[in-house]
Formats: sequence, structure tokens, C-alpha cells
Amino acid sequence: MFYREAGQFKATYEADSAKFPIFQDKLFIWFYLVIGFVAIPLLGNEFFLGAIMIPFLVFTLAAIGLNILTGFTGQISLGSGAFMGVGAYACYKMTLAYPEVNILIFIFASGIFSAIVGVFFGLPSLRIKGFYLVVSTLAAQFFLEWAFQRIPWLYNYNNTGAIDGVSRWLFGIQITGGGADRTAQYIVCLAIVVVMTWFASNIISGRIGRSWMMIRDMDIAAELMGVRPLYAKLSAFAVSSFYCGVAGSMMVFLWLGAAEPESFDYNHSFEILFMVILGGLGSLLGCFLGAAVIWILPILIREWLPPLIDKITPWVITSSTADLVSDIIIGIMIVVFLIMEPHGLARLWAIIKQKLRVWPFPY
Amino acid sequence: MNAHDPHLSTKFDDGIAPGEELLHVDNISLSFGGVKAITDISFDVLKGEIRAIIGPNGAGKTSMLNVINGFYHPQEGTITFRGEKRRKMKPYQAASSGISRTFQNVALFAGMSTLDNIMAGRTLKMHKNFFWQMWRQGPALQEEILHRKVVEEIIEFLEIEAIRKEPVGTLPYGLQKRVELGRALAAEPDLLLLDEPMAGMNLEEKEDMSRFIIDVNQQYGTTIALIEHDMGVVMDLADRVIVLDYGKKIGDGLPHEVQSNQDVIDAYLGVSH
Repeated sequence: MFYREAGQFKATYEADSAKFPIFQDKLFIWFYLVIGFVAIPLLGNEFFLGAIMIPFLVFTLAAIGLNILTGFTGQISLGSGAFMGVGAYACYKMTLAYPEVNILIFIFASGIFSAIVGVFFGLPSLRIKGFYLVVSTLAAQFFLEWAFQRIPWLYNYNNTGAIDGVSRWLFGIQITGGGADRTAQYIVCLAIVVVMTWFASNIISGRIGRSWMMIRDMDIAAELMGVRPLYAKLSAFAVSSFYCGVAGSMMVFLWLGAAEPESFDYNHSFEILFMVILGGLGSLLGCFLGAAVIWILPILIREWLPPLIDKITPWVITSSTADLVSDIIIGIMIVVFLIMEPHGLARLWAIIKQKLRVWPFPY
Repeated sequence: MNAHDPHLSTKFDDGIAPGEELLHVDNISLSFGGVKAITDISFDVLKGEIRAIIGPNGAGKTSMLNVINGFYHPQEGTITFRGEKRRKMKPYQAASSGISRTFQNVALFAGMSTLDNIMAGRTLKMHKNFFWQMWRQGPALQEEILHRKVVEEIIEFLEIEAIRKEPVGTLPYGLQKRVELGRALAAEPDLLLLDEPMAGMNLEEKEDMSRFIIDVNQQYGTTIALIEHDMGVVMDLADRVIVLDYGKKIGDGLPHEVQSNQDVIDAYLGVSH
């Protein structure tokens, strides 16, 4: 970096185990938070908030959820899309049943439902690993999607078969439903993501997070150190699904405003898995980076590539062709990252930081 | 370790005086299908001693350790640990009753740092629940720091301060073995099982490791059962030795007795049957 840890000595273990042990890092975090909470709401327009920032935050939260399971506990899952759906439907049913209760409470409560379902579908992980577990979580994906379509009670017997964001207010500002205030929605999303990221990083650096990583790295040794695989794996499934569930209800209530069962299909699960892989397995920063690349890059390409091609070449391309281009780029990126840097963008960032730290010397 | 630390001084109060029986293995038989790995083995481990288990390859030494810490369940026989008699136990029960071990092939948590690996050994000593951990303030943080202090003492003891924050996957083999010993020690075990702690080491590393094993035994009073192939090391370190061959016990006693036992010599040098 442009700064070093030189001169910053740690006198206590508390200071040594702090999340951002270097003063400048802390400064940067506050700087990012100010940008996030003040600058972007002031400067961002409807498109920037609604099509870029809010979905980016929603997917970041879902990616954190999946990363807890896949990156930190080593249990690969393709059910995250469905767990998001559980959260969304649970929030929808609850807010219809109790309209007077604050919607924020329901957004978090919906995570609990998702966690329960996640634990149930996590039970096979006690016996099976790897590809076989992927298949059993895919079963969760298909079963839940089927449930969203075929159980009319879930979508309140309405004609469309879709759920829509009911209008709810927070501090007198409408934050869900048609005509909601985008800026308010964005700030609520950001607050949820910041708080839940903080919680996640706390859990990961404590005993429970360590027991997850023990299971990931060497399950036999973990068992002999006193970790019970049942508790470790199921708690990872629960926390992971909780995060996905909250992300799902945010997706419906704070971003899209409505959702069909197809909104939670396996494409979503794959997308979130790609975010985690590209961003970095076992890294919270990676969730942000991965979500940013996979969500924002295609939008930028769709917006900027056709005019650019138009201007500098004789050809004309449509925005759907641009979408194909971004699919190709992301596909190539995933393959290249899996080969060159399996720990993703987060590791790349760490390497860059280290190189800059010792610059101009090689090490 | 510091005597004034409440977390460390309690560990000797397990009601067993040095020299009394800590572990007793009775008539253990273990087979995998038709393969008999262990046949009718009995022995005891006394509190405070270093007990070596030796024998040619495939003699059932590691299987024996796996039985003791609950990873394999024997078909016959019982294990009495600290006066508690069990037919079989789960690894979790073994760990929580004070049995800790290292592995023949280093089984560290490769993605975690040295510090986290040794902290992992303290898992059973930490009790703050999920919600405290989520906040990581107050009690949860205090607990974390209290255990960090214990871990730092172990790090100092094993002289691995410099690699405290290195991911263990990148460390050389000798250091990995040392970290693994640290992880086992962090659990403050009553019985420490070491599966070939010196395999693949050079002379200097072996000397270091031997010194650590003796120090652990004398400083912390930890009872140690170790498997080792280097006879020089075994004869110097061990108080008593068990010799296994083809899953059967062929010798048990003081090092020099075992050394002159004809069955043992035959097993190692080979005789025409």
C-alpha cells in the first residue's frame, strides 16, 4: 500500500487481533462507510441505486451466506437461490399476516425460517461430501422451487402466482412496495449488509468460525480436537441459510418489489457460487469483490459496449450481443481464476497489497 | 506455564497421583472384516510416564492409538481412562475427557495460521455461545484473549513465535510437526498420544523434538504415549515400552528388558518361521 504498519506496535492481544490492526486501514473503512452512507445516496440517481448498488448489496449478502458454508466450512451448496426464496416467501407471508409489525423485523425473522430449512437440507452433509452434497443441495433447489409454484398458500392464492412487495413504512418513509423511496431502500440495504458483515467477521474469528474451518481443512483432526461435526456443519448451514434468507427478502422487498418462483431458480444459485469462487473462497472481502464483478461488469458492458463499438468500428451491436460478450468474459474469468488463483480476487488483492508494502524491493 | 493462571493450574487436579494408573486397555481386539488388526492386547499407562509403542510396520500401533482416542471401535475389550470404563468412545468424548494426539502424517488445518491452529486446540475450553461471539465484545472477547495468552505461552515454549501468523500450509515439515504438537498441547491433555513425532526429521530436528517431549512430560506433568521407529530415541525417552507385532503384544517392560527380549529381536530382524 502507500502506507506500512511500521511504528504501529501492538501492546495487547486485543489490539493484535483487531479486524483492522493498521490505523490507515481503519481510516479507509470509515472513508468507504462515509461514501456508502452519504456520498452515494446524495449523488446516485435512480438507475445507479436501483440497478447497481442495491442488487450488488443483496448479492453480496447472499455471497457471504454461501461463503460461510462453502468457503469457511467446505460444504459446497447449490441451494442458495432456493434459500433466498424461503426468506422472501417467509417475509411476504409474515408481513401480510401482521401488517402492523415493522418490516425490518420480518426481514431478519425471515432468515430464521430460511435457517431452519437450511439445517434440514444440510442433514445429508453429515454423511456425504463434495459432489454428492452438491446434488443433494440441488434437490433442495428443485424441491423448494416446486413448492413456491405449487403451494398456493405461499403466494397467498393470488392469480399471478407471484409475490409482490407490500407497501411498508420505516420512520415515515416508504421503503417497500410500489413507489418506495430508492434512496431509503439503498440505505436500509447498506445498513443491513454492513451490520451482518460485521457479525459474520466476528463469528468467523471466534471459536465457532474456527470450528468451521477445522471441519473444512481436516475433519478427522477437528473431531479429535473436540469439534462435533454435527454441530459445526449444521450451524454453518443455519448461519449460511440465514444470510441467504435475509438476502432473499431484501431482494423482493427492497429491490425488485415483486418476485416469481423463477426468480429463485438454480441460475441464481450458480451466480452466487460464481461470485464466491471469483471473489475468493473463505474471504468476506471476496464476497464484495465477487458480487461487484459478476453483477456490475455485465451492466457496464451492456451500457457502454454498444456505443463504443458504434463509435470506433463500422459494426453495430445490440445490447443482447453485449450480454453475450459479458457472459464470455465472466466465463473466461472463472476458468482463469480457477487455474491461476483459486482463492480469487481477495487473494489477488492481498498479493497486490503485499507487493506494494515492500515496494520497490521484490520482498 | 504460569502457575498463577487459573486455567492452567487446575489441570493437575484430576485425582490421579503420578505413578498411578491413568489408562488401562483390556483385551482389545479390532478387526476390519477378515483382517485382524489388533488381537487381545492389554496394557496400562501410568500417570506421568512416557510410554512407547513400537513394532514393525503394520503391527497395529496406529490402530491402537485410534482405538484409544475413539476413532476406531474395537470389537472386544474395554478401555479404562481415569477410572472410567468404556467399551468404546466417540472422538469427542475422548477429547473432552483429556486425550489429545498428533498424527503420523501431519493433520494440521492447512488454511489457518499457526496461531489459529493452536487456538483450535482450545476449542473444548471455550464456552461463550453464538450470540456473544457474534458481538465479539465483553465476555467473548475476554475469553478469546484469555485463551490467546495460554496459546502464546505454548508458542513461546515451542519457539515458534516467528511463524505465529503464517498459514501452516506454507511451513516446512519440521515446523509443522511442532505446530501440531502445540495444537495437541493447547488442549491441556492428561494423556498425549504422539504418532511418530520424529518421522522424516533430520538429527537436529529429532533432538529438538525429543527435548520438547521431555519438557512437556516434566514441566506440565503430561502423560505421553508415543509411537516411534527410531530406536535410539525410544530407548532414551521412554520409561516403558510395549512391542507389537502382527497385532499381538510380544513385549512389555523397561527399555533394556525389551531390548534383550528374544521375541522382539526376532520380530525386528526376522526369523524363518
